[in-house]
Amino acid sequence: MLGFLLVVLLIPYLIAAYGLLFVKLRWGLRLFGAFIVATIGLLTAMFLVEAYPIIARDGVAVFFQTRWDPVRESYGVLQALTGTVLTSAVAMALAMPMAIGVAVTINEILPARLRGIFGSLVDLTATMPTVIFGLWGLFVLGPFLKDAVNSVSRYLVGDDVMTSPYTLFTAGVLLAIMITPYAAAVIREGYALVPKPVEEAIYAVGATRFEAAFIKLRYVRNYILGGFFLALGRAMGETVAVAMVVGGNFSRFTTNILESGITISSLIALIFESGITISSLIALQFPNAASYQYMVPALFAGALLLTLFGLAINAVAIYIIQRGQI
Amino acid sequence: MTAERKAEDITAVRMVINWLGLGLFALLGVAAVVPLFLIIGDVYVKGIDAINRLGGLWHFLTELPPTPLDERGGIGPMLVGTLYMTALGALLGIAVGFPLGVYIGEMRKEKFANVARAGVNVLVEFPTIVVGLFVYAVMSLAKEDLNRYLLGPISNTISPLGEWIPWFIGPLDGFNAYAGAAALTLIMIPYVALITASAYASIEQPLREAAYATAGREFNALFIVLRKAVSRAVLTAALLGTAKIAGETAPLLFTALGNLYYASFTGPTAAVSLWIWYAAQTSYEVQIDSAYGAAAVLLTIILTIFIIARIRG
Amino acid sequence: MAPQMFSWSKTFHRVTGGKIQVNYQSIGSGAGAAQFLEKKLDFGASDVPMPRDKYQQAAGRFVQFPVIIGSIVLVYNLPEIAYSKTGMYLNLTSEVISLIYMGEIKQWCDPRIKALNPGLADKLPCKDIVAVHRSDGSGTTAAFTLYLTRAYQPWNQTVGWGYTVNWPADEKAKGTGAKGNEGVSQAVLQTPYSIGYVEFAYWAKNKDKYDRVGGVAFIRNDNDGMYYFPTAENVAMGAAAGLERYTRKYGAKPAPDADWNPVSIEFTNPPRGYPILSFVYVFLWKDYAAEGYGDAATKAALLKEFFKWVLTEGQKQDNVVEGYIPLPSEVAKIGLEALNHIKP
Repeated sequence: MLGFLLVVLLIPYLIAAYGLLFVKLRWGLRLFGAFIVATIGLLTAMFLVEAYPIIARDGVAVFFQTRWDPVRESYGVLQALTGTVLTSAVAMALAMPMAIGVAVTINEILPARLRGIFGSLVDLTATMPTVIFGLWGLFVLGPFLKDAVNSVSRYLVGDDVMTSPYTLFTAGVLLAIMITPYAAAVIREGYALVPKPVEEAIYAVGATRFEAAFIKLRYVRNYILGGFFLALGRAMGETVAVAMVVGGNFSRFTTNILESGITISSLIALIFESGITISSLIALQFPNAASYQYMVPALFAGALLLTLFGLAINAVAIYIIQRGQI
Repeated sequence: MTAERKAEDITAVRMVINWLGLGLFALLGVAAVVPLFLIIGDVYVKGIDAINRLGGLWHFLTELPPTPLDERGGIGPMLVGTLYMTALGALLGIAVGFPLGVYIGEMRKEKFANVARAGVNVLVEFPTIVVGLFVYAVMSLAKEDLNRYLLGPISNTISPLGEWIPWFIGPLDGFNAYAGAAALTLIMIPYVALITASAYASIEQPLREAAYATAGREFNALFIVLRKAVSRAVLTAALLGTAKIAGETAPLLFTALGNLYYASFTGPTAAVSLWIWYAAQTSYEVQIDSAYGAAAVLLTIILTIFIIARIRG
Repeated sequence: MAPQMFSWSKTFHRVTGGKIQVNYQSIGSGAGAAQFLEKKLDFGASDVPMPRDKYQQAAGRFVQFPVIIGSIVLVYNLPEIAYSKTGMYLNLTSEVISLIYMGEIKQWCDPRIKALNPGLADKLPCKDIVAVHRSDGSGTTAAFTLYLTRAYQPWNQTVGWGYTVNWPADEKAKGTGAKGNEGVSQAVLQTPYSIGYVEFAYWAKNKDKYDRVGGVAFIRNDNDGMYYFPTAENVAMGAAAGLERYTRKYGAKPAPDADWNPVSIEFTNPPRGYPILSFVYVFLWKDYAAEGYGDAATKAALLKEFFKWVLTEGQKQDNVVEGYIPLPSEVAKIGLEALNHIKP
């Protein structure tokens, strides 16, 4: 009955919201805001309900364990969380410079005729189906990165660092390619709308084009932040493409910790190993999860963890923005 | 003399930095786009070759998918399914995402708007498969009652009007096209909202004040007077969102499920992305070919949407 | 199993003049069984029989029977002893395979591997073995680990079997995962000194590529001590031998509404033949009307017609997809009898 009511009341709600737009605009808009908050609430509630069995059984251990052992019904999503963090970090480290580069290239370097085309090309990257990215990553990018990275590492440390084409690093690079257009779209918007007076002032003091670009980027740093979060969200949520290239080692994190503790170098080494992220974990394991007693709850616990993580990042972002404004 | 020389040196250094820096930006910008060419090239080369092998474009667009024992095949049901679910999803996605974006962008001062913005940021980062699972859960809860009280009576009244009606409206199966479209809508909303919000937030204050002054009602100000200022961004938002959901796979896995045949939208529905997901990972050339052909078709659709919109807007 | 089900569906569609559409989608064996029990699907197919706890829930109300046989091979990438170079393939046993995936055998020059391959022993390099496994839950993993569980006791104690397992090689050695048979296949082809398990078809279709970088392994049947090469005949031999063993042990053929887990145990690691094989099982309700399906009588009749065709015409060579092996006729008969249990 609950689901039925939910679906049936949805349509009148939206119609009412639209109607209100014409009568009392602000309240109409608020209704749309409420819709999204309610959706998030429902989703999180679903996670909690579904994850409850394993939290009841194991407490918070499910969040701090790296074992994934369906045979013994022992699950932990820490490895997956680490993978999400690491792939997102690699992706953002590569994507933000590229996105900024796109914004500057379009607005400072290219002649007016080419701007539209270049911008469209960047947007087109965003719309490419994720499955195709995944296939390209599986057949082309993975092997290429393995050879490239290993040649570099053989030169630097004398050994191959990537054992297989499918690692967290591969996933991070693929993600970077996929999320750059989203960050770029937001940054481009802001950059193009730097007010004329400001731009004139910058050049009046004799800045070179490069220095002007820098100043403008500082001016639009809120957009850069906005683009950052859009891209980060995309990176954390990407499922299909990551699932195909990330590998699938569920236990490496523990080994690394036991051997060398959590150090920067052990984390870096982890990047070049195959791993797993929360989104891909759910995609890879869910189809057969119903055969087990606690796997579905464990997967939803992973989703819950991801949500909390995302909320935390957003809270930090809001704090930074508030501080910046004061 | 010395001061001049120093100034010249500094300027020279600054010029060098200028060229290096701009060069770096250009390199980064180009790097963002190069993979696109690689992928598009790869897909089209293999795809066009595949379509020819599988019997030509018209057959490919209408026939049923090939089994490992077949020599020819197509993606007819997949194309129909993707077009239907994407259209529905995009319509609803824009319908909800656009006002939401206006709210977040225009009414930034309100606390609730910031809560909504946080909500949208969080929605963007959900694993797409989880959104599909959510729709599946709601569908499971609602299906029985929905069919009994709403869709059953409606379809009984309407279906005598035409034979094609049961293909669209009727009692829903556990897996159906509308669940798929709903999942796609949820995926699309945050993208439309965030880009729209950026557009509205970036309107300069003088322009905004002028709009309010001339328009009278706030509704007119936001949607009619400021139309030109934001239309490009809103169009981008709509396009990016639509093209994105046209290629989504994970949300459809447990909502639309997939189909090998032309079938009613009230039951499991095929999608191009689902077929690519399945067929490219088999070991049979004819199916792998059909996957690349399907990818080429999908890319062409997306490119067309883009070009049309760029010409008009 | 999806390509074969799909083929049957389309051929049947043609044979019935386009009247009957059997839509089969591959969402995973576990999901197939679960969705079937939840009545969201009309029939389910799976690489393993209905799990015991789920069987209890629905015991006596449904039937399960095999429709086709699948097999798994071990492919490896070892440039020094590639088939194209040496003309020889590796011999492996369940013990050595288990130890590799348990991370106990870490290098190719391990004496245990050399002992099995005297002809290649001097060429085996002392390089770390990259053991590739599946990252997604899969029936292939289930069949593979079930074989190791039955054949090598320490594997049973430490790892067990299932759609996904905890691979000790991930922690102790260079274990790595990949998505799907395609992922494992690519990973092995691209990664020197790796080994992986894939469905028969993935090797058969790419035999030349594998021969250039390594090859496929002869597996020893621990029961008769002979090494078998993966071929359709050797797999069929294994299936027939397994049925024989079951009939001898239980005195009768397996019943369609019984729990098939004991049956699959007898078919695993059979007395003769290529030892790694698995059945694709189909689940059907006995009484669709009683289970609450709409249009039950038509549905049941269509399903019976389809599966009758599958178990007879569908087993003929023309209708079997490469990489799958037709059922021995005694096994097919079990399915035909099962269909009689379905009302009307």
